[in-house]
Amino acid sequence: MAAPAAGPVRAVPAAGPVRAVPLLDRDGADGAPRTTVRIDADERVFPGHYPGFPIFPGVCVVELVHRSALATAPAPGARVTLRAVESTRFLSPVFPGDRLTVELKWTRREGHWRCEAVAATDRGRAATVRLRFTEGSTPC
Amino acid sequence: MLTTTGIKRVLPHRYPMLLVDRVTELVPEERLTALKAVTCNEPWYEGLAEDADDEGHGYPQTLLVESWCQAAGVLAAWDKPNPDVLSGQVMLFGSISDVVLHRPVYPGDVLEHRVRLVRALSDTVIFEGEALVGGETVMEVGRVVMAMRPAAELTAAREQSPAAQPAGVQ
Repeated sequence: MAAPAAGPVRAVPAAGPVRAVPLLDRDGADGAPRTTVRIDADERVFPGHYPGFPIFPGVCVVELVHRSALATAPAPGARVTLRAVESTRFLSPVFPGDRLTVELKWTRREGHWRCEAVAATDRGRAATVRLRFTEGSTPC
Repeated sequence: MLTTTGIKRVLPHRYPMLLVDRVTELVPEERLTALKAVTCNEPWYEGLAEDADDEGHGYPQTLLVESWCQAAGVLAAWDKPNPDVLSGQVMLFGSISDVVLHRPVYPGDVLEHRVRLVRALSDTVIFEGEALVGGETVMEVGRVVMAMRPAAELTAAREQSPAAQPAGVQ
């Protein structure tokens, strides 16, 4: 993807640290939902993380899991809101040019939804993430 | 107290990913309090739809976590700064758990990160704490594990990635 400086800026509904948008490549109808996203070298976090040695921040991997979760949330007709990062383990670094795949598994818990995800590059698992969501958007 | 220049001596993070503005209290091996002011001219708001509502202007939750973790990084490394990720020992976050997000944070809010050191082993440090806005807790952090690792582990990993390929090959 070309640097966006010269083109129109895509309007997004919420602020976020990552420009890349995860694409759904398996909708969950016959298996767990999965998204893929390419981490381009022009992501705006790279100049500062770190100068001369760009590494995709671990929290940005969590951000892509978060967005993948929002795109695959099973709550029928309702939006879901992130309430907790129950756990995340960072297993290997993600670099510019990597393709990240995110496999998600949703389970209904008492009063909330849990989304467990594995994010991986071509070199193997980059992170495991477990997020907790509730339906609706009212602040706790 | 540490100002931005003092923080930059400790952390390798730089604009736009330096997410701690000031350290107001630092008790070595014990605790730290740091501030981060949120403004709508941070780059994360670029491209936000003109009709985005207040919710859309919420500070990205993942960056709230990152900002808190950077404050923890200052407590871990203030006395042995290595703002270079290509040499020596570098700080890596191994795991983050039990982070509860209580309410959104918006431009104009000043985050107060309270970091407590739970345990320090030879190459691993464990933290807990919370973030407040105006005295109200906006996020609780149950456990963050930070590991010191040789920079060579990172540079070796990059050799296997697309980033190591010459331009045009990817």
